Amino acid sequence: MAKTVTFTDPTGESAPVKLEIFDVPSDLADHDQRAGKIPEPDPHYVDLGMLFRLALVEKVRREKVTDTPLHLALRGHMGTGKDHDLEQFAALLRLPYYRIPLTGEVRDITLIGSVKLHGDGKGGTESRWEDGDITRALRGPALINLSELNAAGAETLFALHGLLDRYQSIDLPTGETVRLRPDTRLFGTLNPTDLRDYAGTQTLNKAFADRWVIWEKGFPTDEQITAMLQRRYPTMAEPYIKVISRLAVEVNESFTATDARTRVGTPMSLRTVLDRIPAGLWVYEHAEDPLRRSWESFVIDHVDPFDRDHYETVWSAVARKGPSEKPFGK
Amino acid sequence: MRSREEALLSEILPPEDRVIEAVVARYQRVAPAVTRFARSLASNDDLRIRLGSQASAEPGEIVMDPGVFQAAYARSAPVTPSEVALASALHEVVHMVATDLDEHRALPEEWFPDAGEPLPEDPVSLLDALDKAGGPAAEAMFFSIEDARQESQNFDLYPGARSVLADLYLASIPGAMGRARPMGQFALACFLAVGGYQDVDTLQQRSEVHVSMALEEARDLIDDAREASDGWETAGVALQLLAVARLHGLLTEASPDESKTRREDREKADQNEINTGVDSLRLMSPIVQDADSYDQTRKAMQAAESLQGRPDDAQTGGDPATEQILRVSEAPDVHLPTGQGGKLLVTPLPSRFSNYADRGFEALETAARRWEVGERHISGELYPLFVANQRRGLQSGFDAGDLSPHAALFLGAGLYQRMFERRSLPTRRAYSISLLVDGSASMLQPRPLPGGVKAPWAMAAATLGAWTLARLCDELQVEFEVALFNRAFAARHDDTEQTYVQRAHRTKGALRRSQGSAADRLTRTVNHYVLKSFDNRWETAKDELAGLFWTAAHPADAAVEARRNPASAPPVSMFEKAANVDELNVQHAAERLGRRPATVRMLVVLADGMTRGSVDALAATVDGAEHGGITVLGIGIGDDTVTNAYSRHQVVERPDELTRAMIHGVRSALRRSIALTGGDTWWAHVSQIENTITRSA
Repeated sequence: MAKTVTFTDPTGESAPVKLEIFDVPSDLADHDQRAGKIPEPDPHYVDLGMLFRLALVEKVRREKVTDTPLHLALRGHMGTGKDHDLEQFAALLRLPYYRIPLTGEVRDITLIGSVKLHGDGKGGTESRWEDGDITRALRGPALINLSELNAAGAETLFALHGLLDRYQSIDLPTGETVRLRPDTRLFGTLNPTDLRDYAGTQTLNKAFADRWVIWEKGFPTDEQITAMLQRRYPTMAEPYIKVISRLAVEVNESFTATDARTRVGTPMSLRTVLDRIPAGLWVYEHAEDPLRRSWESFVIDHVDPFDRDHYETVWSAVARKGPSEKPFGK
Repeated sequence: MRSREEALLSEILPPEDRVIEAVVARYQRVAPAVTRFARSLASNDDLRIRLGSQASAEPGEIVMDPGVFQAAYARSAPVTPSEVALASALHEVVHMVATDLDEHRALPEEWFPDAGEPLPEDPVSLLDALDKAGGPAAEAMFFSIEDARQESQNFDLYPGARSVLADLYLASIPGAMGRARPMGQFALACFLAVGGYQDVDTLQQRSEVHVSMALEEARDLIDDAREASDGWETAGVALQLLAVARLHGLLTEASPDESKTRREDREKADQNEINTGVDSLRLMSPIVQDADSYDQTRKAMQAAESLQGRPDDAQTGGDPATEQILRVSEAPDVHLPTGQGGKLLVTPLPSRFSNYADRGFEALETAARRWEVGERHISGELYPLFVANQRRGLQSGFDAGDLSPHAALFLGAGLYQRMFERRSLPTRRAYSISLLVDGSASMLQPRPLPGGVKAPWAMAAATLGAWTLARLCDELQVEFEVALFNRAFAARHDDTEQTYVQRAHRTKGALRRSQGSAADRLTRTVNHYVLKSFDNRWETAKDELAGLFWTAAHPADAAVEARRNPASAPPVSMFEKAANVDELNVQHAAERLGRRPATVRMLVVLADGMTRGSVDALAATVDGAEHGGITVLGIGIGDDTVTNAYSRHQVVERPDELTRAMIHGVRSALRRSIALTGGDTWWAHVSQIENTITRSA
């Protein structure tokens, strides 16, 4: 009997979704390497609803939309957890996870492959086809995450059009056609293209964008950050969790403000909230005000100088002074 | 000893940091975040927050009076200035957003337990209903409780700012409780308890016995007030609190045969007792102060709009006093090497001076001839010096480049390791020259000339010198800056004589009313008018400089023109007779020069009198600039202050001396720089012209 995984709706509104997990066939040439790319479930990960939504789509793909390609891209600001969501989705479905960053330097040959010269051992050379990043991933079950979709040049993305539409294949210059396997999923992530400083990004080519279902991913709410901190740091004192969550929500609200005069250019990413500030609390555990010290060393130094007044005003309004108890060991 | 965090505000904040412009400057650092908070609180992304001399509130816009913030800095509390900036602004925003008492309802029956006949059903405003039910005392009690309720409910999201408020209030409790009469104590205790700043038990210990008993009975009402959902609900609780106070003898009892006048006096006395008690502690926000203040705040916006049209700039106050305060508070702080400092208003010269450009060009030609400042003569004199300093040296040892005709010789002699030589990096624009001209009215006063006549030549000669040097610098592609400095009401770039004079009158009047004796400091500012900045092209500035020259050479004619056509004439009234603060201007110009990517930096200052600061501070500033690699030349016009303040100086008594002194000063500095960089060649030596610059250092 096939193994299954159940996705539950964190809001409790919809019924859980049960899906069969994928299997990496043992006859694949790269079985061992591929099996090693299945991520481990993060015990600290809190599903804010994204995994459940992804599971809903996956269910529909398997049952209803079997012939039509349905590729999902998550669009959100830095540090909202887009890639983490996809990695955890792959972990639960037991799919090898391939994260392929599409920087401005990436060319179609990097993605698809090219002919390379190899020594023949006799002093001469011979040319051999070498798969690119996507082609390699497509040769077996995989969850492919094309991250930073809007950073790559349009001419690079054109090479993927065939793979993303009904043709569902890539034709290699060698004459081979690599088809999208039924156990391979294509996802993407991208930052919003606006006035904020996401160097190298551009508006997504309309034809390319039309091949994706794009979902927005916002910053987590107060309660969501609280849940994440509680899950990840069970011993963190409640007052710290409360203040850190409020600081993040207020700063990120300023980041998303529509009026450029009242907004900050740097958001408080989940990396800051879940990794850096707690690390600072450990570092300054014995300081008089551990949260303030952590804020100064792990947050303020990290933001642009012109944002510091705003960050400090948020600090004064929300915290002013950190909690008086020890940060950990409740 | 207390730490800095625990120090009292009044101890750590010197008086100069409590002045209105410092308060506004501090507010402006928190303003973006406070505006964002206000928009979140009001659930209105388009809400505008601005400063103005009259507080007002309407759904789309909140105007805050910076004077309200200023009062907070007078407290003795363990808070920092930046915390007060945030808390006072957020406090004002919270009340402005949360207060709306305009909803009309029918009179609530429970407010009139003794009514013998049915109440009218027509809806009335909250304040009218309250006045009918409890009179002035009820109104005072309501505003106190409503103030606390709003703070309790709206500061929940911002506990940091709330704790600042709490510290400000808690520090004032002993004094306020000690001074208050019983009813005032009760109202104050209710305010603190509803706001959540102190619990009832603690307040009871501080209160008189019958006040303490009243508080005991009021416990549930205090909880109700904290949970109230709107002003009407709070008003109901306020009336019940008054009933408790009356029961415990805290309110003055009415006599059975009381006349109307006596009743009114009694009610006023109760109201006054409540207000005095609470106002001695709370941060005052006009919209929740009392009924009159509420009406004024709500109606101020409509009044302002009907008079002036809707203000279109979210950052300015729309009234001259606030605009000037904002202007001063936004001005850069200039710090002197002596530790002193001050605000310097840096602004472009009014563009209207270019109206006199044609006359200016003619006058410049005539003056140059009369004062023997032949432009070509001077160019010819200085040109070799500039070019000398711009020679690009040749360096040996390159694999490609120019081949020296003596390469073989040098290689043989072991001087070259490689045969090619290459020009070193080009040094064009390696000079920066800044001219700083005194722009006080005394520079336009007639002065003696040879032959016993008098004429206003000081600023004219200075401008001619600036003009000549500017032309030369432009020709040689040397970057330069020309600025005028004075101390007066600051003109704006687009000012005409008419707008300048009107604005000055309105601003001075408004500031006298709102700021009293501080008005003079706020209107007579230290100004630095940039005529041509390093980054501007000379072509864009020469019309204004020519126009300024004509104004300087013919001040009486310019004044007549200004009187005749005030709507188009430049603001000639900006040249006020007031002592300058030279050191701030010198420091600012030196800082700007210091930032230029140049190897030779020179500052020429022309002034005709004592600085209003101190000669020692000026000397220290000049010395600091010299140590920073800037050659500073002070030229005194009929005044020898420069001899004490500038190590390089000259005092001039005639216009031709002045322009020549400027040219010779530059020449001297160029020679010095050539000598310093090892280019001591024959063409850099003094030949025919006597160097008249004294080097006293």
